[in-house]
Amino acid sequence: MDQILLFAVLGLGQGALIAGIALGVVVTYRGSGIINLATGAVAMASAYIFWALTSGFFGFTLPTVAALIGALVAALAIGVLIEVAVFRPLRTVSPLAKLAASLGILLTLQATVLLVFGTQPQQAPSVLPGETVTVLGITTPADRFLLTGLVIAIALALGALYRWSRFGLATRAASENEQAALLAGLSPNGISLANTLLAALVAGLLGVLAAPIVQVDSITLPLQVVPALAAALFAGFTSLWIACTAGILIGVLQSIVYFLSTQSWFPTDNGNAMPGLQQLLVFVLMVVALYVRGAGLPRRGEAVEQRLPAVPLPERLLRPALLAAVVAAAALVVLPFDFRQALTNSMIGMVIVLSYVVITGYVGQISVMQLAISGTAGFALSHVAIQLRVPFPFDALGATLLATLLGVAAGISALRVRGVSLAVVTLAAALAMEQALFGNTSFGGTAGVSVPPPRLFGVNLGPGADFRGLDGNEPSPMFGFLVLAVTVVLGLYVAHLRRTGLGRRMLAVRSNERAAAAAGVDVRAVKIAAFAISSFIASVAGTLYGYNFGSVSAARFTALAALGLIGFAYIGGITMVSGAVIAGLMSTEALLPHALDKWFGIKGTWALLFGGVSLIVTLIANPDGIAGAGHRRRAAKRAARAAARVSEPDGPHPEGEHHAPAALDTTEVAS
Amino acid sequence: MSTPVLEVSGLTAGYDGAPVVRDVDLTVAAGQVVALLGANGAGKTTTLKAISALLRPMAGTVTFAGTPLDRIPAATRARLGIAHVPEGRGIFSGLTVAEHLRLGHRGERLDEAAAYRYFPVLSRLKDRRAGLLSGGEQQMLAMGRALARRPKLLLLDELSLGLAPIIVEELLPVVRRYADDSGCGVLLVEQHVGLALEVADHGYVLSHGEITTHAAARELDADQARIVAGYLGEHPV
Amino acid sequence: MNVLSVQSVSVSYGGVHALSEVSLDVGQGQLVGLIGPNGAGKTTFVDAVTGLVTARGRVALDGQDLTGLPPHARARRGLARTFQSSELFEDLTVTENLQITADRPSWWRALGETLGRRVSPDSAATQALSALGLEDLAHASAHQLSQGQRKLVGVARALAARPRVVCLDEPAAGLDTAESAELGRRLRAIADDGTSLLLIDHDMSLVMGICDHVVVLEFGKVIASGPPAQVRTDPAVITAYLGASAAQPTAASQQHGGTPSAEGPSKVATTTPEPS
Repeated sequence: MDQILLFAVLGLGQGALIAGIALGVVVTYRGSGIINLATGAVAMASAYIFWALTSGFFGFTLPTVAALIGALVAALAIGVLIEVAVFRPLRTVSPLAKLAASLGILLTLQATVLLVFGTQPQQAPSVLPGETVTVLGITTPADRFLLTGLVIAIALALGALYRWSRFGLATRAASENEQAALLAGLSPNGISLANTLLAALVAGLLGVLAAPIVQVDSITLPLQVVPALAAALFAGFTSLWIACTAGILIGVLQSIVYFLSTQSWFPTDNGNAMPGLQQLLVFVLMVVALYVRGAGLPRRGEAVEQRLPAVPLPERLLRPALLAAVVAAAALVVLPFDFRQALTNSMIGMVIVLSYVVITGYVGQISVMQLAISGTAGFALSHVAIQLRVPFPFDALGATLLATLLGVAAGISALRVRGVSLAVVTLAAALAMEQALFGNTSFGGTAGVSVPPPRLFGVNLGPGADFRGLDGNEPSPMFGFLVLAVTVVLGLYVAHLRRTGLGRRMLAVRSNERAAAAAGVDVRAVKIAAFAISSFIASVAGTLYGYNFGSVSAARFTALAALGLIGFAYIGGITMVSGAVIAGLMSTEALLPHALDKWFGIKGTWALLFGGVSLIVTLIANPDGIAGAGHRRRAAKRAARAAARVSEPDGPHPEGEHHAPAALDTTEVAS
Repeated sequence: MSTPVLEVSGLTAGYDGAPVVRDVDLTVAAGQVVALLGANGAGKTTTLKAISALLRPMAGTVTFAGTPLDRIPAATRARLGIAHVPEGRGIFSGLTVAEHLRLGHRGERLDEAAAYRYFPVLSRLKDRRAGLLSGGEQQMLAMGRALARRPKLLLLDELSLGLAPIIVEELLPVVRRYADDSGCGVLLVEQHVGLALEVADHGYVLSHGEITTHAAARELDADQARIVAGYLGEHPV
Repeated sequence: MNVLSVQSVSVSYGGVHALSEVSLDVGQGQLVGLIGPNGAGKTTFVDAVTGLVTARGRVALDGQDLTGLPPHARARRGLARTFQSSELFEDLTVTENLQITADRPSWWRALGETLGRRVSPDSAATQALSALGLEDLAHASAHQLSQGQRKLVGVARALAARPRVVCLDEPAAGLDTAESAELGRRLRAIADDGTSLLLIDHDMSLVMGICDHVVVLEFGKVIASGPPAQVRTDPAVITAYLGASAAQPTAASQQHGGTPSAEGPSKVATTTPEPS
């Protein structure tokens, strides 16, 4: 019992950190309507700067207090940058696009920290006194209590500020109805800036103070935003008090779960305690929060109508698809082996992004889980093929089916959750699967499990096949052809889906669920179908991953990797198959990063930075993505040609240009 | 004649590069109530939005009390003394009535007393959250807040939207009274032509984005044919 | 037999009765008007009938009990509706918007389409377009339409389902007098062709002009029903609509404030029977 109490107290440190980040999330949301996934990353950045200032990294060493002030100034500077470069230009976009933008900030901050401070985790000195106190007979470090007291004090101060000050009244008004606030002479920009700075300050302070308890690296602190989001969900993204309390409790619970997992009766996995239970706990808590609070977030009256990225109707499919296939097939034979490998990786990336085109592009729901479903399929493939000795292609089919079922089950349980809430809860799910499922050596494991090559009628279709292209090296173009065939078929299917009744119903659901239901659309059935199709595509990609490397490793299917892929999908154009093609070319170890590395020596971290920045730029300047912009240009050209052909306009029709059959053109699947 | 509160000249505005109103000229003098009439989609709301800078005009100038506003943003225009009650009322459903009348920008103190004087209903609802008010009460709150800001120019967009005519019949005379008392200029967009012309001094008729006719309210009221012509998009006589 | 039969429908939100015991019937080819002051519960009634809010009571279509069915199932059985804010599917063209309701989705059909079978647009969609004179807009995107056009497309979308009855929630709000009269003529023609209509609108000349039967709601209760001529002279309706306040608007505004109540949006409220 004493032990549980001890671990509960020790958990206060982590809890205070989570509570601080949760406060930052809530404050940012009230100020600007953005769910800032990068709040933990701000804590990371200031923790790194604090470490650098105290350890002589910049060539000088500051005393602790000065370094603390320096780190906070840095947090404020990051806050200003985020506000001016990201939040302000994106004031009027949809909540999902705002969420994606915060993802861009997260990736950018992570890449910057890696480039500046390196990949080595650091141990920052403690600002708080290192003494211990004895409470109820147990001796614990005093800093846990100090941190908790501090975060509670911050929550109380913020609460008083919102309730009684002019600034607080203005924030509440602007968070409800931005246009009316504008007309009242309030400056939403000023309000948003002030709240963003407050959030950055709180997150930065907790980052520095709690850094000695966790470890300063590029993953731990940024991902603390996930439990913080769970706390914020309990708070309905509004109540500071609940966010603070829930954050502290989550930290305590995680610590107790850790303690329990050290007990002898606890289930083990190959001698070690079951991994990932803390992440699983956070996911379960989020589900509880959504159940308790309802799935909706408080709405804001935004100033401008929010349009989602357009989903043009594809007209010509076969010709561009065949053209792209021929070019890719030729490239597979001609290219040197490393580029051949990169092209194969690109195509697998395209397939996984296709799953996002269906679920996010067509139905408007961000599910971060899709990559985890790919991973499940990959690991399942290994078990089905090796342990059950099922031959190709039935092993792949079986694994795909299994993972698809998991995706559908997840989709059914998430039917009432939509939009930003779905993105948040599936992020927690992806993290829980990464740790609890893929980290479990009975099923997955970071060491990887092997996958036998695909053989059909005695012919090896895998990367080790005999036909080795022009340069005679592995991987064999044979496997490339297999991936190409799958990619083309799935690409055509997804593009064609937009033209079918089911595709129309998906867009109807995306645009307005109530109206869709009243129009006779079975919203649940459409969503389940979308989850099924998307999960199927993701699972196929997972099995291809497995064959590609002959093994499956947990490292490829992390929640952070999933966030990166969603970023690439937005950059390419998340509503179009051609966007998926572009996104695939940019994904990890695909053609673009490979070429950059090979020709210019630009490494992966730079690609991450580039990805983060271009995600933000895309959302601001070109929300339809690269593919969408291309499509608009072609449509405009066609309309101009059509207008030129019609020598005589048919009378003064004020909306004449709208009636041009602009919606009917389109070449999809352009590469 | 003194400088008009509002002078709009050659205003062209719209969405996504497509103009909704073209080359609009109109003037509102101090203490004057001007009705902006026209069929649905004629561009009345667009005109108001361009005046308060919720929408950036494509061409033309908006002059407020002799000062050209050019690129001045909405919040600044509001501080200068333009109060715009938008379609859908523009209130904050989570704030109480009293909080609405406390909510000023930096350095601004609202004239709560004026709001309660013109809309006595509100004084009994001080601690009620706006979201719990009836449609008519919400509209009174929106207008009361606008008046409490001591505006020089009041833009009212479709007070009648979603309200029964009898409530509009209550609200419009208050507008008239306020303009007379304070010398505030009022530009009023209204579907109910008859009601609007009863309280207005002057009326403009927008048709397909252009001002097709304007005249004293009494004259317009008498000559309904001109308004009908404006609504149907025929050329003015 | 009645096409739509609603018996004793009640809805309450957190203790406040938005609707209590409302009954209403719509016969074959009948055009029934539902009027009442703001906040009387007209939209709530349509939401209850179409299944978008949970309600007590019984809703039957062609004698078939719809109680407990989800909204889409009611829609597919022939109960269509429009929305006050004409909620179109923004990313679809006008024709595609209509196809959503015209389609009869099935797994078989979805499979056929997946395998590349071209399905020509349902004739119901084209008929609905021409019933409202929207042929020119067939290929326009929903987000390019004006407010008035959106209203009409909303009505066309409801008709494309070949419904037995359509609930029209303020289809004329935002239309000018001429457009409103034109819409009235078209609605009358649609009803005369056999599709029953339930019309909610504030435009009294429209409602009184085209409806066969009018039902008046106040504070969630039916206070009168009958042919337009009768409802117009019904003392209860006149009291509800005109009250004591019609003559003295300013006095009314003070009096109005004297009776604040959570359930009482616009206690004095409302519309003169005939604005013109």
